[in-house]
Amino acid sequence: MLKLEHLQKRYGNFALDCSLTLPPGRVTGLIGPNGAGKSTTFKAILGLISADGGSVTIFGKALKDFTARDRAELGVVLSDSGFSGYLTVKDVIPVLASLYSRFDKVFFLEKARQFQLPLDKKIKDFSTGMKAKLKVLAAVSHDARLLILDEPTAGLDVLARDELLEMLREFMEKDEEHSILISSHISSDLETLCDDLYLIHEGRIILHEDTDVLLDNYGLLKASPEQYEKLDKQFLLRARKESYGYSCLTDQRQYYMENYPALAIEKGNIDEVITMMIRGAAL
Amino acid sequence: MKGLLIKDFKLMKTQKNYFLLILAITVGMSAFSEDVSFTMGFLTFVVSLFTISTISYDEFDNGNAFLFSLPITRTSYTLEKYALGLILGGGALVVSTLLILLTNASRNIRPVPEILLTALLILPVVLLIQAVMIPFQLKFGGERGRLAIIGVFGLLLVLGVVGVKIADALHIDIFGILEQLPAPGMGMLLALLFGAALILLLLSVRISLGIMGKKEF
Repeated sequence: MLKLEHLQKRYGNFALDCSLTLPPGRVTGLIGPNGAGKSTTFKAILGLISADGGSVTIFGKALKDFTARDRAELGVVLSDSGFSGYLTVKDVIPVLASLYSRFDKVFFLEKARQFQLPLDKKIKDFSTGMKAKLKVLAAVSHDARLLILDEPTAGLDVLARDELLEMLREFMEKDEEHSILISSHISSDLETLCDDLYLIHEGRIILHEDTDVLLDNYGLLKASPEQYEKLDKQFLLRARKESYGYSCLTDQRQYYMENYPALAIEKGNIDEVITMMIRGAAL
Repeated sequence: MKGLLIKDFKLMKTQKNYFLLILAITVGMSAFSEDVSFTMGFLTFVVSLFTISTISYDEFDNGNAFLFSLPITRTSYTLEKYALGLILGGGALVVSTLLILLTNASRNIRPVPEILLTALLILPVVLLIQAVMIPFQLKFGGERGRLAIIGVFGLLLVLGVVGVKIADALHIDIFGILEQLPAPGMGMLLALLFGAALILLLLSVRISLGIMGKKEF
């Protein structure tokens, strides 16, 4: 579906070098702190900015050979951009119908009603939640094969987020070849939706793992200085000095549970993994 | 292209009142003013400016990033702006000509062929204005684009005035020379004007395509 090979972009001090693969039928999450390069990666995938090196391949086609017709197979949400705020939902419908041959107007209107999106109000006067719903709705209403979603749930309350995630699940159920590349700050969104996760930091991918593996096998060890001294460190990914001693990230939680029964070991979650991978020191 | 045109007409709908005001002024001018070419030129020029305003609307709030993720190309976007300019400029010229023909029927201030000829002379000017404005707006965008356009028209005016002043100082009678030239037929003059305007317009399209090709969103 989508393949990035050493996609590079430089802005002053910032340098992006990103490789990732998104097979058909998968939901892949791109996570990382602000300024890590998520939006830059999305924009380079979409050809909105020119890459300084590397390659982007979508549906087996190089980005430079990508035509408007190929683009119609994508559904896109960008975090900092959307339809002109001077348009209304009613204005947007004929535009989408004209740009996408498979635009499903009935579905669009039904969902707009369900989400209580006002049809005659200018988009710039929408609430954050309404804007976000409209963006995702536009992305899923023309039978795209691949969704590229940059922070689709940013600024939303729990209910609105659930509604959006539900819409994405419906999208995945429609066809087993459908795929989604999504970035988000909210780890619970990603835990429930994504098959695998890429962690990006300072422009580089520092971790790629299946979500299940991450949740089942990763763990956080809390060790006193003495315990830390005696610890077998071959399965530790990161360690960080704490007031009580050390916290350590492992991808072999079971091993430490069996061999160090006295150690406090917590199950992995995405937030902890992100924090440790970025703040912790490599061993 | 069609989707973009729909979008632009929907965007222009937000300026409906401004549009109606301009139309009302034109109706007034066509009914009371003796200056046919000014009335036509006014409506045509002001309506042509709406093309520029759609470019500003597209840029508003970083809208271009999303716009260019839709199934359009940078080329089709650029060509659509020229198409829109021609539709708006041409449409306004037709409307103002019809208005003047209508009011002229009762006032009878000009012969009909002269009115039609004036309209034909304004058309290449409309093409020229588009040719200058669109690349500047695409390159500089919003406020800076508008300033750049004003700057260019100002510069052309100054150059013209300076040229005439220099000719005066050197005691060259430009208008005398023009009058001595073998007068080409009106058809010839029109053809020349159209030809020049078209060449400039094509050049402008090329420049705009170059500008849009390099843009980052």
